[in-house]
Amino acid sequence: MKALHIAATGMKAQELNVEVISNNLANMRTTGYKRQRAEFQDLLYQNLRRMGTETSDAGTLVPTGVQIGSGVRTAATSRIMSQGNVESTEKDLDVAVKGEGFFQIDLPDGTTAYTRDGSFERDADGQLVTVDGYTLQPGITIPDDALDITISTDGQVQGTVNGNVQTFGQIQLARFTNKAGLQAIGENLFLETEASGAPQVSNPGDDSTGTLLHKYLEMANVEAVTEITDLISAQRAYEMNSRVIQAADEMMQTSSQLR
Amino acid sequence: MQNAELIGLTRQTALKRNLSVIANNLANLNTSGFKGENLLFEEYMMPVASMSEFRRPDRPLSYVQDFTSFRDMSEGDVRITDNPLDVAVDGKGWFVVDTPDGERFTRAGNFQLNANGELVTVNGDTVQGQAGPIVFAPDETNLNIARDGTISTSAGVRGRLRVVEFENEKTLRPIGRNLFIADGENNLPTDMAAPRVQQGALEGSNVNGVNEMTRMIEVTRAYQTVAQMMKDQNDLMTNAIQTLGTTDS
Repeated sequence: MKALHIAATGMKAQELNVEVISNNLANMRTTGYKRQRAEFQDLLYQNLRRMGTETSDAGTLVPTGVQIGSGVRTAATSRIMSQGNVESTEKDLDVAVKGEGFFQIDLPDGTTAYTRDGSFERDADGQLVTVDGYTLQPGITIPDDALDITISTDGQVQGTVNGNVQTFGQIQLARFTNKAGLQAIGENLFLETEASGAPQVSNPGDDSTGTLLHKYLEMANVEAVTEITDLISAQRAYEMNSRVIQAADEMMQTSSQLR
Repeated sequence: MQNAELIGLTRQTALKRNLSVIANNLANLNTSGFKGENLLFEEYMMPVASMSEFRRPDRPLSYVQDFTSFRDMSEGDVRITDNPLDVAVDGKGWFVVDTPDGERFTRAGNFQLNANGELVTVNGDTVQGQAGPIVFAPDETNLNIARDGTISTSAGVRGRLRVVEFENEKTLRPIGRNLFIADGENNLPTDMAAPRVQQGALEGSNVNGVNEMTRMIEVTRAYQTVAQMMKDQNDLMTNAIQTLGTTDS
């Protein structure tokens, strides 16, 4: 009974769909989170009667044939990298990127990760770090006695020390040819992959990398309404596939009760 | 006497295949650009077997055979995704994809970029523009796809999506991965002069859940009826053997 296995692929696919949707909803309020979407594809077809084969000596052909598919598979869980809404936080070291760029973060193992989450803090040495304590790259140290810290749209970190305006550093952004190809590793961080291409680092301000917004944070780009409607259709599809399994089971039962 | 059982068996085999088709449609209820399928049955006159139990001999017997699966090529529902790389075709028209085996056609417009900045499908196959693949430089922003398929970014026009149509769409054969292949020599695609595409939207599957469920109920009930008939036939034969075999001594 092929239908049993086909319906099983359908149920598995919808189960994964619900998992992706639930992860999106769980991260609805995660700073810089980018929603994912499960992409499905049909599987191979079995040709029971091939189209285009001859049906007579006169050269008449089978017009469309008999083809039976074998179900569905998940091709990708692609990440939709659209801009999230920005929210005012009034916090000194919060920065949102308006545009395509990513902040570069030094991981403890020496690799560089990328993030859209600009909620930075100062560590004991005054260095700018993420909420997990990983340093921002290139490193920016803000002295203890600095007041009125501002981050300009083009990434200059400035403040007043003893009444004089000083520049402490320059935030740089990285951008990728295919940012949807970045690998998410949790903690709002992404890693470069073969698919994403190499990062191009530049100062914020030009059109392509984007500009910075001081005292704002980028929210997740998850939209509750979209996710809920997707959830409803996924659940219904799951139910229908389970009905097919029941139907196939009933048919097999009928056969087995023939005698 | 066995003919009734054999005819019933052809029907059951056909029904099982029919359920497989329904299962495949329902499994692809959320697959972008999927086109639902349907089996058609025909009567098959058995040339060798014929009924000879009663007067007027040689009455032909009709078996059931599935002779074609036809594909519903109607448009699926278009849903708005707001993803700049999602494209849906309005009306007829197919995107052309370059696979290692040659040109394939798809209605699924969930495109991506690869590391070289080329427009590709989720499997990494390049999407054809009218003048070769569509490539973006890393510093381009504001990707916009016009209604006629022209793709422009901050760096100007980057190309135009190739959208083709077929005289007879039924000849397209699915090969999985949301791709279709055009069989036959004179079944060449023609470029559409004025295609209409929509950015930020995706064509869903054209499978209608309610229809499939009713067809499924039909199939299971028909299967049960045939099974019952075969059982009755079997009982009839058992009775006949018993009754005729008993000799009154």
